[in-house]
Amino acid sequence: MPVTEKKILNRLYFLAGCMFLFALGVAVKLVYIQVDGEEYRQMAEERTIRNFTIPANRGNLYSDDGSLLATSVTKYDIRFDALTVSAQNFEKYLKPLSDELSAMLGKPSSYYQKTFRKARANKNRYLLVTKDLGYAEYIRIKNFPLFELGPYKGGIIVEQHVEREHPLGKIAERSIGYERLDGSGHELRVGLEGAYGEYLEGQEGRRLKQRIAKGQWKPISDNNEVEPRDGYDVISTIDINIQDIAHHALLAQLEKYKAEHGTAVVMETRTGEVKAISNLGRTSDGKYYEKLNYAIGESHEPGSTFKLMALAVALEDKVVDTSDIVDTEKGVITYYRRRVRDTKHGGYGKISVGRAFEVSSNVGVVKTIHEHYSEHPDRFVDRLYEMGLDKPLGLSIKGEGKPYIPDPRNKKQWSGIALEWMAFGYGVSMTPLQTLTFYNAIANNGEMVKPRLIKEVKEWNKTIMKFDKEVINPRVCSPETVSKLQGMLKNVVLKGTGKRLYSPNFSMAGKTGTAQKNYGTKNRERLQYISTFAGYFPADDPEYSCIVVIHEPDRSVGYYGADVSGPVFKSIAQKIYTSSPVEDVVKELEQTRPETEEDYQSYYAKAQKHSDVMPDVKGMSAMDAIPLLENLGLKVKAVGNGKVRKQSLTVGNKIKRNETVVLELS
Amino acid sequence: MNNSVVRNMDWLTVLLYALLVFAGWINIYSSSITDGLETSVFDFSQYYGKQLTFIGLSTVFIVLILAIDAKFYQRFSGIIYFISLASLAGVFIFGKNIAGQTAWYNFGFMSIQPAEFAKTATALALAGYLSDSQTNIKYFRDQLRAFLIIAGPMVFILLQPDPGSAMVFASFILVLYREGLPSGYLLCGLGMLTLFITTLIFGAIWVSVAVFLLLTLYFIWRKRKKKVVSLLPFLTLMVITVLVTSSVRFTFDHIFKQHHRDRISLWLKLEHDPEKLREIRRSIGYNTYQSESAISSGGFYGKGFLEGTRTKGGFVPEQHTDYIFSTVGEEWGFAGSTAVILLFTFLLLRILFLAERQKSKFSRIYGYGVAAILFSHFTINIGMVIGLLPTVGIPLPFFSYGGSGLWAFTLLLFVFIKLDANQINEWEDLNDATVS
Repeated sequence: MPVTEKKILNRLYFLAGCMFLFALGVAVKLVYIQVDGEEYRQMAEERTIRNFTIPANRGNLYSDDGSLLATSVTKYDIRFDALTVSAQNFEKYLKPLSDELSAMLGKPSSYYQKTFRKARANKNRYLLVTKDLGYAEYIRIKNFPLFELGPYKGGIIVEQHVEREHPLGKIAERSIGYERLDGSGHELRVGLEGAYGEYLEGQEGRRLKQRIAKGQWKPISDNNEVEPRDGYDVISTIDINIQDIAHHALLAQLEKYKAEHGTAVVMETRTGEVKAISNLGRTSDGKYYEKLNYAIGESHEPGSTFKLMALAVALEDKVVDTSDIVDTEKGVITYYRRRVRDTKHGGYGKISVGRAFEVSSNVGVVKTIHEHYSEHPDRFVDRLYEMGLDKPLGLSIKGEGKPYIPDPRNKKQWSGIALEWMAFGYGVSMTPLQTLTFYNAIANNGEMVKPRLIKEVKEWNKTIMKFDKEVINPRVCSPETVSKLQGMLKNVVLKGTGKRLYSPNFSMAGKTGTAQKNYGTKNRERLQYISTFAGYFPADDPEYSCIVVIHEPDRSVGYYGADVSGPVFKSIAQKIYTSSPVEDVVKELEQTRPETEEDYQSYYAKAQKHSDVMPDVKGMSAMDAIPLLENLGLKVKAVGNGKVRKQSLTVGNKIKRNETVVLELS
Repeated sequence: MNNSVVRNMDWLTVLLYALLVFAGWINIYSSSITDGLETSVFDFSQYYGKQLTFIGLSTVFIVLILAIDAKFYQRFSGIIYFISLASLAGVFIFGKNIAGQTAWYNFGFMSIQPAEFAKTATALALAGYLSDSQTNIKYFRDQLRAFLIIAGPMVFILLQPDPGSAMVFASFILVLYREGLPSGYLLCGLGMLTLFITTLIFGAIWVSVAVFLLLTLYFIWRKRKKKVVSLLPFLTLMVITVLVTSSVRFTFDHIFKQHHRDRISLWLKLEHDPEKLREIRRSIGYNTYQSESAISSGGFYGKGFLEGTRTKGGFVPEQHTDYIFSTVGEEWGFAGSTAVILLFTFLLLRILFLAERQKSKFSRIYGYGVAAILFSHFTINIGMVIGLLPTVGIPLPFFSYGGSGLWAFTLLLFVFIKLDANQINEWEDLNDATVS
């Protein structure tokens, strides 16, 4: 069958027919979706509308004297919907609006007129006018011609966003903390910001927005809008100065002893307010940062600091007195083939129970407890339970470590040497804050108060929640026991393990502790220590109690509690005393100084107004002026002491980065 | 290049080509420019800037293609074909895996997709084989060889896997058909396709019954016309129908991949559960629906150049490549889309017209090859963008962004322009010019 011309032609027609059919299909479909495409257009609309959350403003964080620790500043972006404005209004107000914008923002009026006209021609409903305005500027721009007609008639679109600022700059930065997401989406909650996030956060709002271009969304109709509830202000118990002292004292010692981590907590004896809480951990590069809240979260064997609890039980039961004599023998005593040793080779011989505590004789204390309680260990443990030492403090901060005191009635927990080991702080477990709470109770004449980090939660000036002093146990032991224990603690510093810390200028009382961390290890070289000093000051009529715990100091430098942690305790005590006499401190802590308030107000006004011009810092205190200027990118040299008398850069001049400014203080 | 080529070139085809490339670039510019960014069109970090470079380089290629002696393409068609096959095979060794496909050679500054160039090579090889005076497409042996030439690159491309591009090669059947392949093949293929689709929609039983009724009617009609009626073909056709329809479900459920199933379900509206339908639309149908919404929002006259909010908003994924036609739809409206379709239609008709007037059988067959490739690309791409056909990711010739694509189509077209220009000048040299 030859291929004929006619056949070829038929085939061509067939192919052409197929193409025609397809072209027809395309045309029909195009008409369907383009000319008569209501359904598709509606679909297009739907795909561009989304519910957005409006973040609530975060509350402010204050220190105990009302200084701002952290605050949120709202910034405003102004946009223009060029389509919603009627033609008449647009023509009428374009010129006056542009003139006003020109006066405020600097660009010529003709620029704004041109931009707005172009936006209208292009049907741009989201033209950016200006960004990052402060509140006052926002109010001003809102009242410009045309804009004052509001979002629908006037086309003004206002969007706000929030920036978190720390007025104190680097001072106490870590303790103030932050709450944010890290790179892999985990929430980082650090310091007070993290701890009180739930109060500070507030409640998010919701708003519908329509997508009009890549990454650009325009809010629509406010029927479904849910207003956000702003976060509450939190007034913490932290005293900036004490925090600063504790931080630096701890840091210096950690660096000196190349320790793994450490914590220092200062607590007001009568109220339980935590005035400073510093937690520093070593990072891989050998520097120390606030990594974890060791003071609250880390429960460990306290070691010798627990002798205070042990003797408190014995004294309270009146089975022993501080003047009773105990034979420490040769410094070694064996229970169930396990040895208890004293630090002093050869032992202390026959000494009083009080002296055994002062020199921290393990043999002395253990023997005393064994003698009186080995028949009825439950009596000993029950006393500890009565004092509330087996229960967590119930802090508002999450992640409190659990204390552990074994029960002789529970065979799994108890063993033949449990009592003896407990007597010098092994086989039990407590967090530094729990230990401090007990020491504070002794300082506070037997009244155990709950440690608090937060004083008040406020919404503007309205108090939402007030946190008053909370008593855990009004009497952990009798006044006689308290005074005996106080005497022993005082003697530790006067003539015991802490005597190197003694200073004639101020008095303090406390107990050293040097606990072995991994005593199970065969390798003596690998032994690690926890060095502790817990106590209070002044020794008579104490104001503050304090605990310093340092983990894994470099043994070649030293590891005794008195050497490692003691000096931190001492320098905290010393600085609190020398910088401000006791009476003053107490008075100032009770109330907010109007002066400070004023300082911060003026700081704010300045920080907000000027971002790149030299502010007037004359009359400000150096502590305020220096971070303010440093945050602006200046290098600050301060000469002298006190308030700023003279500044080397002229007020109002433009600031260059890294320029040096000299402040004369007087 | 001698002047005769310039003189004899079909300038109308060149003009249509230039118009399409220019229109393509305009739309790439619109779909990839960032709002408010003051950049020059020569910004080579942007798609439009890169495409401009590709366009510039294609003019260089055009000059080269036109400068090479026309006989080269015929003489070396076999070698070109095998080099192309080697390049397709080599991609599995030296190639780069992009988005699950091993289809690219990476040269650092750009990537080359050998499958694009294999179309030209196959068209040349097919033309070379069919134009051989020894070949007669009426013989089964020669049909088989022709099919093998087409199947070679298809197999490699399917392995990449890039079923869309492989599908394009099937359009060479149309070339064979024009050259005398018995109609049975085409009818058989179309019949199978129809059975497959109708069975998916109506189910095996209904389709079998319908075929039975149709066949019965046909035989009754034949009998009325007093023609010979035998039962054998009737029964054979019925048995084939029943076998095909009953295997459709199995093929669809077990041989097809999930995303193929979803695309076909969406296309044929097989899914009736509104929840699942929404899910399919949201995932697999997302591109199509975005594209349809964009085109629909253009209305009759379109929103104007650079004014397409959906284009600007980056709603349509892959808009600068496979979905470039949606930019046309949004910014230039029904009028613009129709204009583009008309341009393509003119180009196709012009190529068919030129092919028919070729004195050399080789040139004619090659011309048909070009038309078939362009037609299938055009059909599948536009069909996909407007939701007429299921989603198959292949570019719109001359329009879509991409160096490989643009150069391959330029090569495909301009080899034909060269062949065409040559025959006017030197037709008497062609000893194998057999006019059918």
